[in-house]
Amino acid sequence: MENTLALLFGLTMLSMSATSRMKSYLKMLSIQGLLLFLIFYAFMEQFNALNFCFLAFETLGVKMIIIPLFIWRIIKKGKIYRDTSPSIPKFYSLVAATIILFSGFVFSVFLKKMLINTNPLSFGVALSTIIISLFFITIRKKVITGVIGYIMMENGIFLLSLSVEKEMPIIVNMGILLDLFIAVFILGLLVKRISRTFEDNDMDSLKVLKDSVDDN
Amino acid sequence: MIIEFLLIFPLIGSILLLIFKSRNIARPLLFLYSISYFLTSIYLCYCIHSNIKIGGLLKIYFAVDPLNIVFLLILSIVFLAVSIYNDGYVKVSDMKKSKLSYYSIGILLFIFSMTGTILSTNMALSWVFIEATTLTSAYLVYFERTKQSIEAAWKYVFICSIGISLGFVGIILLTIATADINSLFFSELYNHSAYINKTWLNLAFVFFLIGIGTKVGLAPVHSYLPETLSVSPAPISALLSAVLHNAAFLLIIRFFHITVLAGNSGYGRTLMIAMGVMSLFVTAVYIFTVKNYKRMLAYSSIENMGIIALGIALGGTAIIAAMIHLVFHSLIKTSFFLTAGNIFKIFKTKRTNEVHSIIKRDKLTGWLWIACFIGIAGIPPSPLFVSEFLMVKEMISSRHFLLMAVFLILLTIIIFGMAKRIIYMSCGKDIPNTHNHDDFEGYADKEEHKPVLLSPLMYVPQIILLLISALAGLYMPGILSKLLEQASLLI
Repeated sequence: MENTLALLFGLTMLSMSATSRMKSYLKMLSIQGLLLFLIFYAFMEQFNALNFCFLAFETLGVKMIIIPLFIWRIIKKGKIYRDTSPSIPKFYSLVAATIILFSGFVFSVFLKKMLINTNPLSFGVALSTIIISLFFITIRKKVITGVIGYIMMENGIFLLSLSVEKEMPIIVNMGILLDLFIAVFILGLLVKRISRTFEDNDMDSLKVLKDSVDDN
Repeated sequence: MIIEFLLIFPLIGSILLLIFKSRNIARPLLFLYSISYFLTSIYLCYCIHSNIKIGGLLKIYFAVDPLNIVFLLILSIVFLAVSIYNDGYVKVSDMKKSKLSYYSIGILLFIFSMTGTILSTNMALSWVFIEATTLTSAYLVYFERTKQSIEAAWKYVFICSIGISLGFVGIILLTIATADINSLFFSELYNHSAYINKTWLNLAFVFFLIGIGTKVGLAPVHSYLPETLSVSPAPISALLSAVLHNAAFLLIIRFFHITVLAGNSGYGRTLMIAMGVMSLFVTAVYIFTVKNYKRMLAYSSIENMGIIALGIALGGTAIIAAMIHLVFHSLIKTSFFLTAGNIFKIFKTKRTNEVHSIIKRDKLTGWLWIACFIGIAGIPPSPLFVSEFLMVKEMISSRHFLLMAVFLILLTIIIFGMAKRIIYMSCGKDIPNTHNHDDFEGYADKEEHKPVLLSPLMYVPQIILLLISALAGLYMPGILSKLLEQASLLI
């Protein structure tokens, strides 16, 4: 069961690397939130009410609903519905993502013996998710897609921490969630400011500060 | 309750400021916190020195030990100096009431998150706080609201958040490495280090070093740093450069200590030496191309963090050298950035080639600028001379001759590059300023040559910090060397 869910999670990453529509990115982010909840549920060995409620809130509340809605509001205000002209064509980025995901599977098979108390498949998927997200951030040009890439990466890290079957203290979990939430919030606000000040949403426009340029 | 005080005060202070938004509360509050912070850390240092136990509600999660007390002391001294300077800075800048309140809240929360990072006893918790430092300082970086500050804030938050997330991957991999040790408390990790899986530990250290190294400003993951430090207001640049990098470094040191105890530090040492040399190299290359004096100081920070990484990786006496370097780099760099703030107030520009003969415009600032350079370049009586000398000595005794040659050549290039600019800025003819101030709304002085009167508070902290450093360079007090020795035992 958990392996199927981890595979589905990997597939959402492929779907994200093949599309350029913001709406589909956000849909996939929501699906990832749901999948993370299901994976957490599938991995759960003993029921701990506090931990369950907290993680359910984190996955279903924050990752599935609040963050995508927040990003959608920014997208609507800035009227950026697509990230056109990425650095490399979509087809190649899909191929690259597939190769990374496949390497993740191979890696997990090789490391099976070394992974104690860890689900190898979700571990491999999580690692490849992190790498695909970094790749995604590098090739996309809009600042908002950078934020989406960051959230994808955080989802990958969450999956990684789920695959290692060790519980963090609740205070740490709360801190992590708070940090993620505030980081996305601040990045969102900065995206708004950037589109207002630079009249452009491309990362390339952020070139005011450079060593060779007399910045101020 | 004494540690809790350090953490709770800024939270209550922020709430008060948020409600009242008064100039009369903001300034005394910061000052009161910095004084009490300083006294508290002196007391904590005394407790550590005389083995007095410190209780408290949160003692499981926050505690002092011989290592983090050094970082806490640096934070307290720098914070006190910055808050004194800040008082004069705020007066000269003529900030609005609400802006001042938000600025003060930003500083309080920033100090809170750094304190949390330094004092936390749990790896994951310190990660939470180091991420919080990015978020709390984002507003301070963005404070001047120019095009430049938006870009700098974006790069800062975005790159640091990604870097720190990679650091968290390192922590997760460490949990795999620790297998049956179901804890991330430093003490438990240290005690059970023999049972840690070495392959996973190596992998975890790579992620952690790259991730948290972003926050430290080690090359090649330093790209946001020159932007951030050059754009922030002077007191904030001082805090970022002198304390935040140290706080992040503390985490790397803690992790590195696990690898040392696990008998598997060779890999980590190589990585840290590589990053240290790369930091020196990057600075040596860029120090000649920068046209903004605050950027130059930022590159100098990258260089010094590289030197500290080198010292820790080399081991032996170089560890004590690294600790001396860490302490006095913070003090000298604080005064450097604060003096840069004075220069900006006088000349209204950060362009190096538009700043001439500071000594003629403002004697004290000019001499402070030169004194800070002497300090940071490691020219005696600077204590950085002692630390760099000890490091070279360790390189010779451990037969790292190539490393020593590279280290000395790169240092010489960097010092030459900096000296050229510093002398050009401090001396020379007084050419009228022709800079167009349009991009500094709110800060632009419309009357071109109207002399700016700086508050005396904008000189005092630098003078005191430099005097302390010079005295320590001439004679290191026994208590300080004991403190550093005890700290180096935990590296």
